[in-house]
Amino acid sequence: MDLFDTTQIGLERALSGSSLRQQAIAQNIANVNTPGYRRQDVDFQSALAAAWDGGEHKVESVAPATEADMSSVMRVDGSSVDIDQEAATQAQNGLQYEAVSSVMKTRVNILKTAIGSM
Amino acid sequence: MGLFDAIDASGSGLTAERLRMDVTSENLANAETTKGADGQPYRRKEVVVQEAGGAATTFASVLSGIQGRGAGGAGVTNGVKVAGIVEDQTALKRIYDPGHPDADKNGYVTMPNVNTVTEMTDLISSSRAYEANVTAMQTAKTMFSKTLDLLR
Repeated sequence: MDLFDTTQIGLERALSGSSLRQQAIAQNIANVNTPGYRRQDVDFQSALAAAWDGGEHKVESVAPATEADMSSVMRVDGSSVDIDQEAATQAQNGLQYEAVSSVMKTRVNILKTAIGSM
Repeated sequence: MGLFDAIDASGSGLTAERLRMDVTSENLANAETTKGADGQPYRRKEVVVQEAGGAATTFASVLSGIQGRGAGGAGVTNGVKVAGIVEDQTALKRIYDPGHPDADKNGYVTMPNVNTVTEMTDLISSSRAYEANVTAMQTAKTMFSKTLDLLR
């Protein structure tokens, strides 16, 4: 196993994407009462999935970025943030982060075991 | 670092919602104030919030921008900011109460344009939004401690 192989880099990208997504969600929730505010979101999963088979350089080039969600419906008071939807997205994103970091921790532990047995 | 920016954004939300609650309380407290400091009846106040402009300029986000690593906060701004507190210019109420010390010669008193029902709704709205910001901050904290957990 290469120390920093495609999987390791992919996991790191996934954590970066999730943390940026949390940033966008926090931004949305903070602006729940801001007139004219467009909710933002981060879609890194599809780019990461597409890059996964392309080797580590492809995976490394996945750059998560926030985008304004233009499909969201503006409320009468002007903000497009749906608090329930944000809460659900946040819960999902948090669990995803937890899952990815658990996988990463397992990999680190395997490495530790390998080093310890030398 | 994305997660610290997330905590900052939630913090700005907490500040804004608390201010909204303070202003709502002030409106409720002055619902019957017919003579303010300027001698005029009280006008209800409203908090104007806007999205905090400009990308994050923390050291970490600038560094990750230079390194070309996407999750540095590109395109994400810093929560919400209070643009100001404005007075609601809707018409003041007039009630007939000749015995009132502030009644005019026809017996009418000009009352503040505070509607207690509106204020209570605003209060619930800001209190719920405050809770949502607390939850968002909690989530970011949990995510960060998961990252630290990788080192153990």
